Amino acid sequence: MASAQEGIFLKEEEAPKAVFPDATSFLRKVIPSNDDLKDKIKQRMGKTLTSLWEDSYVTFVAKKGETILGYAAIIEEIGKHRPITFIVGVGLDRKIRDAALMVYREAYGGEVRDRRFLQQYKGKDLKDPLLPYRDIQNISSATMSVEAIGRGSKKALALLEVVYFEGTERK
Amino acid sequence: MRFVIVILSSLLVLPAVCAAQESDLAAEVKELRAKLERLEKKMADEEAQKMKRAEAEKAAITEQVKKDVMTDVAAKAQSYFGKLIEQTKVGAYGSMRYGTSNLDDLHNTFTFRRFVMTVDSPIYERLKAYMELEFERFTSLELDKKLTRTAGGGLTSEVAIEGTAKSEISMEQAWMQYDIADWLKFRGGAVLVPLGRFNINHDDNRWDLPRRSLVDKGTPVLPTTAAWPELGAGFLGDIAIGNTGKLTYQAYVMNGVALNSEIEQIGQTRAGDTTKLAYEVKLQPSRGTFSDDVKRGKAIGTRWAYSPGLGDEIGASVYWGRYTPDFLPNKPVFSFAIDGKKTWGPFEIEGQYVNTQWSGVRGVARGLAQRAISSSSEAEIGDVETEVEFELANLASRKQGYWVDFRYHFWPDFLSNTIFGKHFPNPQLIATFRAEQVWFSELLNSVAFTGGALTDFRTENRLLNRFTLGLTYRPVPLVALQLAYEYTRTNRGKSLSSVTNFLPARDGEYFQNAVLMGLTFGF
Repeated sequence: MASAQEGIFLKEEEAPKAVFPDATSFLRKVIPSNDDLKDKIKQRMGKTLTSLWEDSYVTFVAKKGETILGYAAIIEEIGKHRPITFIVGVGLDRKIRDAALMVYREAYGGEVRDRRFLQQYKGKDLKDPLLPYRDIQNISSATMSVEAIGRGSKKALALLEVVYFEGTERK
Repeated sequence: MRFVIVILSSLLVLPAVCAAQESDLAAEVKELRAKLERLEKKMADEEAQKMKRAEAEKAAITEQVKKDVMTDVAAKAQSYFGKLIEQTKVGAYGSMRYGTSNLDDLHNTFTFRRFVMTVDSPIYERLKAYMELEFERFTSLELDKKLTRTAGGGLTSEVAIEGTAKSEISMEQAWMQYDIADWLKFRGGAVLVPLGRFNINHDDNRWDLPRRSLVDKGTPVLPTTAAWPELGAGFLGDIAIGNTGKLTYQAYVMNGVALNSEIEQIGQTRAGDTTKLAYEVKLQPSRGTFSDDVKRGKAIGTRWAYSPGLGDEIGASVYWGRYTPDFLPNKPVFSFAIDGKKTWGPFEIEGQYVNTQWSGVRGVARGLAQRAISSSSEAEIGDVETEVEFELANLASRKQGYWVDFRYHFWPDFLSNTIFGKHFPNPQLIATFRAEQVWFSELLNSVAFTGGALTDFRTENRLLNRFTLGLTYRPVPLVALQLAYEYTRTNRGKSLSSVTNFLPARDGEYFQNAVLMGLTFGF
C-alpha cells in the first residue's frame, strides 16, 4: 500500500544533499539508541522535552573530497497527531546548516515544509529556544507543527553533539 | 528282449509319468498364475495407494495454497485497513464562555459555545478526506411520535420534540481532496466558502477573543453566519513566488446561500384576552441545502491571497450567486472581501473587510407578496386566536463592515516559575484590541402585504460599532483562557437586537457593556 496521504518530499538518499548541497559524498551511519544515549540527548536539550522513541537514528557524515563539512540526522517528531520526518544538517561550528522536510502527514499545517519557514533554523544551536514567538516566526494554524520542528531540530543538534562532536564517532 | 521290455515298460509308465508331469505343470502354472494375480493385485493396490496419496497430496497442496492465498489476502487487507484506521485521526475543538451584560434580558450566564469533532483520513496516496461535525449549544434532542386509536373512534397522532434552546447539530465540513499537484488540488463535498479569512480559519481555539466577529457571525455581513459551508466542488492550491513569496487560491462552484423558511410556533396566554396560537414564517438567508437545490442557479466563490513572507498575507475574495428560490424573482447576492495579516515579531495586525449586496430586495418582497398573498392572517374561534405571519428578515440592500485585531504576544519571566509557566515549554500571554464596525444600507425593517400586493416596505440605515479589549493565556498552543471587555453600540435610541443575532436588547437599548471569560481547547 502506498503511504496513504503522506506527503513525501524527500527520499532518504536525497535528504543529506538537501542540507549539504556542496558535499560530494555522504557516509551513512545508523546509530542505535539506548538508555545512555537517550539520557545524554535529554541532558543536552535542557528544558525542551521531546519524544525519544527511535530504536536507531540514521545519520550522515557530509564530505567534500576528504574534508568533513558537517553531519546530518534524520529525525521524527509528533506534530498534532502524526509524526513529521525531517533532516537536520549541522556544520562543524555546531550550528544548523539547514533543515528539510522529508515526510509530512498532518491534514493541516503543511506550510512548515516551505523553504521560507525552514530557513529560520539556519545558524541556530542548542542554546537557542527554537520556539514560536521567541526566535521562530509562527505559522498560524500550524503552531503544533512549528513547535515539533523546533523540538526535533534540538534533538538532532543534541544527537549529533553526543555522537559526532563528543562521542564515539568523533573524527 | 530286455530292451523291448524296457521300451514297453517305458511306454506303459510314460503316460503315467506324463500325467504326473502334466499335473505338476498345471499346479505350477496355477501357482504362477496365483502369484501373478497376487502380484498384479499388489501392484494395483500399490498403484491405487499411490494415486490416493498423490490425490491427498494434491488436495493438501491445493488447500495449503488456498490457505496461503487467503492468509496473504487477509494480511494485505488487514494491513490496508489497519494502516487506514491507524492513520485516521479524530480530533476536536470546543469552547465555552461566561458572560455578564448590562442588558436587562441577558443574564449572567455560562454558554457552551460549541464542540466540534474532526476526523481526517488518508484514503490513498494523494487522496484524503476530512469532516467536522458541530454541536453548538447542544445538550439534548429527543423526538417522540405516537399513533393511537382515539377512544370512541378515530386516530390520534402525537409528536413531541424535546430539546434545549438554540441547540444545533451541524455538518461544518465533509470533503474529499485529490492532490494532483501543489498548485492544483481538487476538493469536493461540504466545503468552507472562501470569503474573507475568518470563515476558512474559524476554529475557536485559534482565536484569542471569546466571541466571534460581527462581520462573520454576530450580524453577519457575510451572506450567512460563519462557519459557512456549502455543498460544491472546485480547486485550490499554492504557487511559490520567488524565494519567500507564495500565492494561494481556492475556487468553488456551490449550491449557495438561499432564502429559507424558519417556522416559529408561539403559544401565548394573555391577561383579559384570548389565548393566541401564532406561526411566524421567517424567510431569511441561510446556507444552501445539502439536498435538492431550491433554485436553478449555482454560486461561485473564490479567494486569492499573496504572502510576500512568513506571517504576512493579503487576500481578496468574491462570492456571487442567486439567493432566491425558484418561486421568487431571480436575484443575486454579491460579496467581496479584502483581508490581511502583518507580523512584526510578537506584534500582529490581522483584519477583514466584507461588503455584501443583496439585489432587488423590494422586488423579492413583492414576489413574496404575490406568492404568499397575505403577510398576516388571523382568525378567532371561541377563546383561541390563531395567527399566521410571513416575514422577510436579515436583508439589506448593502451591508459592509470590518474587524481589525491588534495582538501582542509576551511572557514575563517572573511567571515562568509559577503554576502558569513551570509545567509548560512555551506559555504565552496575548493582549488583543479589536475594533469592529458594520454599516447597514436599507436594512429591512418591516414588510407587509395583503391580497398579493405589498402594503408596507420600510427600511433604515444603521451603524453598529464594537470595541473589545482582551487578555489571553495560552499554556500550550491548543488551549486558551480568555478574559475580555467589550462595548457594543448602535444608533442612539434604537435596539441592538435589530442589528445583531445574539443580543436580546429591548427597544431603546442601544449599547452593551459586557465582560466575558472564555475557555477554548483543541486536540
